[in-house]
Amino acid sequence: MNSNPHNAMNSDSGVNSSEDTLRLIAGLPAPAGLEERVHKALRAAPRNARVLAWPARFRAKTVMESNWMRAAAAAAIVFVVVGGGWGVYSRVQPGQAGKVIVMPQPMPSSGGFAGAGAIRTPETLPGPKIRKQGSEGTRDQETQPTKKPAAPKKIGSTQPATSRHGASQAAPQPAVTQ
Amino acid sequence: MSTSQAIYAGWMDIPTSAVNEEARQRAEDAAISALVDQYAGALYRVAYSVLRNPSDAEDAVQEAFLRVLRHRHTLTEVRDHRVWLIRIVWNIVLDRKRRVKTRPETDDVAELARVLPSTGLSAEALAAAAQHHARVLACVEQLPTKEREVLLLSAFEELSSVEIAAVLGITESSVRSRLFRARNLMAGLLDHERSLR
Repeated sequence: MNSNPHNAMNSDSGVNSSEDTLRLIAGLPAPAGLEERVHKALRAAPRNARVLAWPARFRAKTVMESNWMRAAAAAAIVFVVVGGGWGVYSRVQPGQAGKVIVMPQPMPSSGGFAGAGAIRTPETLPGPKIRKQGSEGTRDQETQPTKKPAAPKKIGSTQPATSRHGASQAAPQPAVTQ
Repeated sequence: MSTSQAIYAGWMDIPTSAVNEEARQRAEDAAISALVDQYAGALYRVAYSVLRNPSDAEDAVQEAFLRVLRHRHTLTEVRDHRVWLIRIVWNIVLDRKRRVKTRPETDDVAELARVLPSTGLSAEALAAAAQHHARVLACVEQLPTKEREVLLLSAFEELSSVEIAAVLGITESSVRSRLFRARNLMAGLLDHERSLR
């Protein structure tokens, strides 16, 4: 540890002297009468450090009687516990079938009746429709049902079927009303 | 033996076991008395080396034997009673020292001069020796706890390193390494203290 041998020697001597001191203290004799005092303290100490002790009346009995008492007390405790358990078990009936209770539907938070999913659509008045001349025939063909009333045949009629049909359909047009 | 016979034998054993109980209690008392006679002095020295107060050391010894009395049923399971007792008193004195740690550690030189042997020493030499011992003990107090404990126990010649390990609950190699560190630290502390003078 120390590079200087003189210091090392000093250190060793210091350590030795310190160990001598500790040995001196460790070798000190015990005070006279220590054993007697310890014996006295042990005699004065309670023999059984228990949380619950038997009453003095029972403690004065012989060991055999106390053993009988212990056995009887243990049997009584077992009897009470088992009897209590059996009493509870015998009184418990098998449960009946549970009644079905229909829970009411939760009301909407705003109160009143629920709408049941209905959607209100406002009524609108039929307004005038503007027909386009070019695309009217094809649109009507697409929207017309498959069964059509037979149109009266006119000889020499040059009006196309679409225009005839469109004329019969367009009742609210101003031309018809005039 | 049938089951009923075994039950009857168990009931018939009650008086016998009661007698055995009484005899066992007497044997335990005798064993504890023998332990007191044999080891009270050694336990006192262990306690005094830590506490350095005669009345506190005696209290610690009494408390150790009271603990033995409380756990007297386990006496038969103990292999080495000496190490077991030293371990008990060691824990007691460490606990006491921890509790009174707030008080300043003072090694009374006059008390040391009174306690330590003074055969063939003049009054001046005795005072100088007491001062030296007080300085050494003050240096011991400055050591870390682990090293100090090993150094204190190593001063007891009747304790081997294996027994010190058993008392402290560590391995023997740990005892040796701690003792080596303690000696080095003590050398440094004593050098430092000498240079200050």
